[in-house]
Amino acid sequence: MMLIFKALSALLSYPGADLVASLDEIRVVVDEETCLPKGERDALLRLIDDLAAHELVELQERYVLLFDRTRSLSLHMFEHVHGESRDRGQAMVDLRALYESKGVIDDSRELPDFVPLFLEFLSIIDPSEAFGLIAEPAHVFAALAERLNKRGSVYEAIFRALGALARVRPDAKLLAALRAEPDPEPDDLEALDEAYEDAPVTFGGPGEACDPDALTARLRQARRPAPGIVQSSRPQTEFTHSDTKSS
Amino acid sequence: MSHFLDRLTFFQRVKQPFSGGHGITTNEDRRWEDGYRKRWQHDKIVRSTHGANCTGSCSWKIYVKGGIVTWETQQTDYPRTRPDLPNHEPRGCPRGASYSWYLYSANRVKYPLVRSALVKLYREARRTMTPVAAWASIVRDPKKRDAYTTKRGHGGFVRADWNEVNEIIAAANAHTIKDHGPDRVVGFSPIPAMSMVSYAAGARYLSLLGGVCLSFYDWYCDLPPSSPQTWGEQTDVAESADWYNSGFLILWGSNVPQTRTPDAHFYTEARYRGAKSAVICPDYSEASKFADIWLSVKQGTDSALAMAMGHVILKQFHVDRKVDYFTDYVKRYTDMPMLVKLVRQDGRLVPDRFVRSSDIAGDLGETNNAEWKTLAFDAQSGELVAPLGSVGFRWGEKGKWNLEAKRSDGTGVDLMLSLADRQHELADVAFPYFGNIEHDHFVSSDHASVLERRMPVAKLASKDGEILVASVYDLFLANYGVDRGFGGANVAKSFDEDVPYTPAWAEKITGVPRDQIIQVAHEFALNAEKTNGRSMVIIGAAMNHWYHCDMNYRGVINMLVMCGCVGQSGGGWAHYVGQEKLRPQAGWAPVAFALDWGRPSRQQNGTSFFYAHSDQWRYETLDPKDILSPTAPAGPWDGALIDYNVRAERMGWLPSAPQLEINPLSIAAKAAAAGLEPKDYVAQGLTSGELKMSCEDPDNPKNWPRNLFVWRSNLLGSSGKGHEYFLKHLLGTSHGVLGKNLGEQGLAKPKEVRWHEQGAEGKLDLLVTLDFRMSTTCVYSDIVLPAATWYEKDDLNTSDMHPFIHPLGAAVDPIWESRTDWEIYKGLAKAFSEVAPEVLGVETDVVLAPIMHDSAGEIAQALDVKEWKKGETPAVPGRTMPSVAVVQRDYPNTYERFTSLGPLMENLGNGIKGIAWETKHEVEHLRQLNGVVLEEGPTKGLAKLNTAIDAAEAVLMMAPETNGEVAVRAWNSLSKTTGLEHAHLALPKEDEKIRFRDIVAQPRKIISAPTWSGLESEHVCYNAGYTNVHEFIPWRTLTGRQQLYQDHLWMRAFGEGLCVYRPPIDTRTVKPVIDKHPNGEKQVVLNFITPHQKWGIHSTYTDNLLMLTLSRGGPIVWISEIDAKAAGIVDNDWIEAYNSNGALTARAVVSQRVKQGMCLMYHAQEKIVNAPGSETTGRRGGIHNSVTRVVPKPTHMIGGYAQQAYGFNYYGTIGTNRDEFVIVRKIKKLDWLERPYDPAKQKTRGPLTSAAE
Repeated sequence: MMLIFKALSALLSYPGADLVASLDEIRVVVDEETCLPKGERDALLRLIDDLAAHELVELQERYVLLFDRTRSLSLHMFEHVHGESRDRGQAMVDLRALYESKGVIDDSRELPDFVPLFLEFLSIIDPSEAFGLIAEPAHVFAALAERLNKRGSVYEAIFRALGALARVRPDAKLLAALRAEPDPEPDDLEALDEAYEDAPVTFGGPGEACDPDALTARLRQARRPAPGIVQSSRPQTEFTHSDTKSS
Repeated sequence: MSHFLDRLTFFQRVKQPFSGGHGITTNEDRRWEDGYRKRWQHDKIVRSTHGANCTGSCSWKIYVKGGIVTWETQQTDYPRTRPDLPNHEPRGCPRGASYSWYLYSANRVKYPLVRSALVKLYREARRTMTPVAAWASIVRDPKKRDAYTTKRGHGGFVRADWNEVNEIIAAANAHTIKDHGPDRVVGFSPIPAMSMVSYAAGARYLSLLGGVCLSFYDWYCDLPPSSPQTWGEQTDVAESADWYNSGFLILWGSNVPQTRTPDAHFYTEARYRGAKSAVICPDYSEASKFADIWLSVKQGTDSALAMAMGHVILKQFHVDRKVDYFTDYVKRYTDMPMLVKLVRQDGRLVPDRFVRSSDIAGDLGETNNAEWKTLAFDAQSGELVAPLGSVGFRWGEKGKWNLEAKRSDGTGVDLMLSLADRQHELADVAFPYFGNIEHDHFVSSDHASVLERRMPVAKLASKDGEILVASVYDLFLANYGVDRGFGGANVAKSFDEDVPYTPAWAEKITGVPRDQIIQVAHEFALNAEKTNGRSMVIIGAAMNHWYHCDMNYRGVINMLVMCGCVGQSGGGWAHYVGQEKLRPQAGWAPVAFALDWGRPSRQQNGTSFFYAHSDQWRYETLDPKDILSPTAPAGPWDGALIDYNVRAERMGWLPSAPQLEINPLSIAAKAAAAGLEPKDYVAQGLTSGELKMSCEDPDNPKNWPRNLFVWRSNLLGSSGKGHEYFLKHLLGTSHGVLGKNLGEQGLAKPKEVRWHEQGAEGKLDLLVTLDFRMSTTCVYSDIVLPAATWYEKDDLNTSDMHPFIHPLGAAVDPIWESRTDWEIYKGLAKAFSEVAPEVLGVETDVVLAPIMHDSAGEIAQALDVKEWKKGETPAVPGRTMPSVAVVQRDYPNTYERFTSLGPLMENLGNGIKGIAWETKHEVEHLRQLNGVVLEEGPTKGLAKLNTAIDAAEAVLMMAPETNGEVAVRAWNSLSKTTGLEHAHLALPKEDEKIRFRDIVAQPRKIISAPTWSGLESEHVCYNAGYTNVHEFIPWRTLTGRQQLYQDHLWMRAFGEGLCVYRPPIDTRTVKPVIDKHPNGEKQVVLNFITPHQKWGIHSTYTDNLLMLTLSRGGPIVWISEIDAKAAGIVDNDWIEAYNSNGALTARAVVSQRVKQGMCLMYHAQEKIVNAPGSETTGRRGGIHNSVTRVVPKPTHMIGGYAQQAYGFNYYGTIGTNRDEFVIVRKIKKLDWLERPYDPAKQKTRGPLTSAAE
């Protein structure tokens, strides 16, 4: 059992009296975790100190504002992967199936892609598999870490730690896409303004949403498996558009 | 050799290649196909719909996989229509198709949330105190109360568990009831039809407490007062399938393809069938492009256009040539033959009220209600007669309230339309003219304010001596300025003369070329002539949002009536906005308003309530004299608009809640001590001044509403006109009001209302909102309760667009901590029952109610307006003042009452719209169906209403629309009043009982019932007025006919006895601020219009990023190229629109579509998505309602007068807002205001008012 995942899960849950009472226990786990570099460990310890230092209601208010009220900091991973697209439902179904395949049923009223729930799952499976799974949403965690950093939030530590545990560099393209998502900040007005603006659509032109490449990309996206789904290593049918083939 | 053994018998070899080389077989991995299979796999499909704010009422398939909703598609199993009519499928639109995204959206409210400042105080107090005492200790201490009320809208929520929030709310309710009275606990929820049980849940809880339900239809301004004025019925309209039966369709201000998406196909199909279509709207809308002819009318001048069209129709089809069908129709089905008294005033003859039987010696033989029977001449005998059907026949006698051409003694009559057909003389009669009122932005003409027109009049011997009378028909034609050869001024022989209301005159006012007016009017009427009335107007509520909306609507109604279209298939008036027909209303009302436990419930008209309690009246700029008629009779026409509302409340015309300055729970004891009945005690107390009505001092803390529940609604983010005033006065938080109140400006103050130099700020102790998404209203609430979405609950849904009833279904359980509305209020009832005994027991509540339409009391004030307050008449409950009733509340048993069907259904029966029946059989069936309460206690043996489905079954069982047995009983009950047999309309379906599981299986067509004036049959589509025309059931008006002349004193005083053109009012909101807040950019002043959008249903879906992507991604304001150029604005610039009411920020959409002089902002875009700060107010965005303020109208306050008697969501003041102008300019420096909240910088209030008096 990887207690560090369980500890991170607890730290990232809505702060309650039981969490505050268990901070010392969590501190020990973090302090002794050899998988984490010292910098990440220290940051987590600062988070733990911070949780211990504030009144519970204040912690809760901060948590609601950050994670319940701020869309760009949603703790539901698929909010950042699928947004409001229809893939999201299927992805959740797949993730729930993965949990069941490992002999656990999610017992809460939470969705399967809720990060603390996912972390608890990682804590009870084989560590090598856990490290593999944590790597998949690495770009989401990296983006959340950056957004929390912008706000100077101590919660950044959790996502930095997850990044370190993943032991991979987040996919640059995916991370770039997430960085482009709106995450309003007071000192970055022009960037915000731009993010909000849509590129004009040129109908019939090349390279735009209607061309064969875009269609192919969309078909690929439609069958992109959810995190945790093992992909076939055998060659798959390639989607091409008849026009591009002939040219 | 036969090669027999070489041939394969059972196999064939895989051929490679085949099909002439075009096909090959490969053995590559085909697992990719699973992607598609998975895409469409599901565990189950559940039927549901979208249930709060959309008229569509489309049934959907919700696909569920692994307990998760994955997508939805349209249902295609509506019951078939009859041959030759297109079917209803498919119904649905992109908004509905994107709903499943809401379930798992980051914007979902997942847990009960409470403002941390409040919960800290409560937890602290609870350590030493009981719940109610704890709450009292907070709200009685102004400092503690301010600690959380000033934080509204500034974040600071924490999660709480259900037990805790329920206890806080219950404690607040109990404290409020004990300290101030149950009428200070108020709730707002709209459009019950779309999820009846969810609405009923909150209304039932409030009603059991004695709390107040606020109406919504009038507040939304979708309620057309013209409908009750004319028909005594509110928004009864044809189903959309009936468009197909029409030969000429006018879309007037309605944008069918954009806002009635699932029904638009009937409009297309009608055009394929050959119907002609004219579209009338200022902008080049989605609908305009489907028109055969588009009339681009200047916004706000529709009544001028309608009057000109009416002028054309009257001249061509009633005067130059008489069409028999039209003449017969108006004679039988309208008030045109009725006689109106003419009085001499300032040397002119002015139309007065209808002549009544009581005016004539011997009451013309009418012993019952002679004051309420209108008169006409019989064409054959020339005698004066009281034809059957007027409201006097409806009450107090049997069998004579019908539209057969008869009089009381049964002899036939043939009513005379024009007095020119008998002995008469010609006289000049005066009509008011308002088109000469100057306005900065609208064209006026220079005709005189009083126009005299010559017409036939007759002398009549009355009890008061000889009087002059005229028929409505003659008045009506004269009013339109049609020349009939009687001579005199102000009538036109030709359409080209510039006389009100010719096409030439209208061309100047409306900008529509006269030939287009003549063509459309002519073809509209010609089609009606050839088809017996199959001409239809689909009207957009836009036209109802102008201050003088009734003129727009009555202008159109007049056209339909003069062409015999109302009540005919494919004809009539179709206004599909905001109410959505609550078809099983008679079964629903007892459950919703807890009429099974106590009658009446407290109901309050929303507009007057919000006008008073968001203190918008303190900023009123419209003087009643501005709108008074130049022909107004002498009367007390001074004071302020709110004075008229107060007078209306005192006279029992409008409801009044909170009702009295004292707690209504204390009255019964005081009355008993004085040895009086409560009603006599109240009447005497009011007369002596010992008791005071709350409406006379809305800023006094004794009269504040204290607790407000909002559910199924985004009151503050979508429908709160005067948004900034809400924030300032009702909520007491930071706001963007820019203007000054009457006191600060040194203007005249109201006479009937007490003025406080410092207005009340922060009237509410507690604002609770139930929602599934974090709307603007939630953001401003003290407690937010997570509601189940429309795919997580069981409920009922009906619409006026189609005749089916179908369910919302729980596809999945409510996720996170959310609960259905029924379970939330049930839980509150439970918590309340536990908490209440601390301060409340069984209590006697004294309830004041207005004089209600469709009750025997509706004929209260026949001939004149007399006020007890001024000593003009004694205060008589239910006659000259509100009625007074006593209701027992059993507060400790609120939960037990909530969850069972009370005894009054068996003891008192059920009914609707003045028709009553007993319903013992249905209650017995419900006992068998839902089971009975087994626990010992006050509800043992009663039918259970434990679950939402139990409640739904109760609705379905008791309503005639869904229970054929009840329908037959209701029709038989009506037959006693009309004397005609009606049961044949329902007998074929007597054995049909629609249950919840039936509609889960398939939508069901409802059963024809007397609740409604149309039929569901194999022969006709549902069309309003059909049973009035074909079954001779009178309209529920004074005359019993479609009433085109409004004779109430206030109608005449404000110039609306007959329909006239009235230009928009001057709201005076631009001049006070235009030079006060310069930012260096150029400014333009534009009319502010808020039509419905394409990418959302009001504010729903406007926080759905996918739908936002389809437009500009946030709030937008459309402006014309010309205005944009003048202000130096280019497309997509950030702009600000402001006036003295407040400011809003948005992107500019610069488009040729928009008419110069107006701007258009879709209703409704929230301030929570992509809205930056305003330079003028320094606050976030502002919403479309930030620049509006409601202005009520005295004619909408009339009551106690047949069709102009109050009904909930039926009549009353409305929240008009289209006469408003805004200053538009570019934003210089964009600021997203993403800084943390700094309380030190927020100066929210003036000196503290004591909240705890």
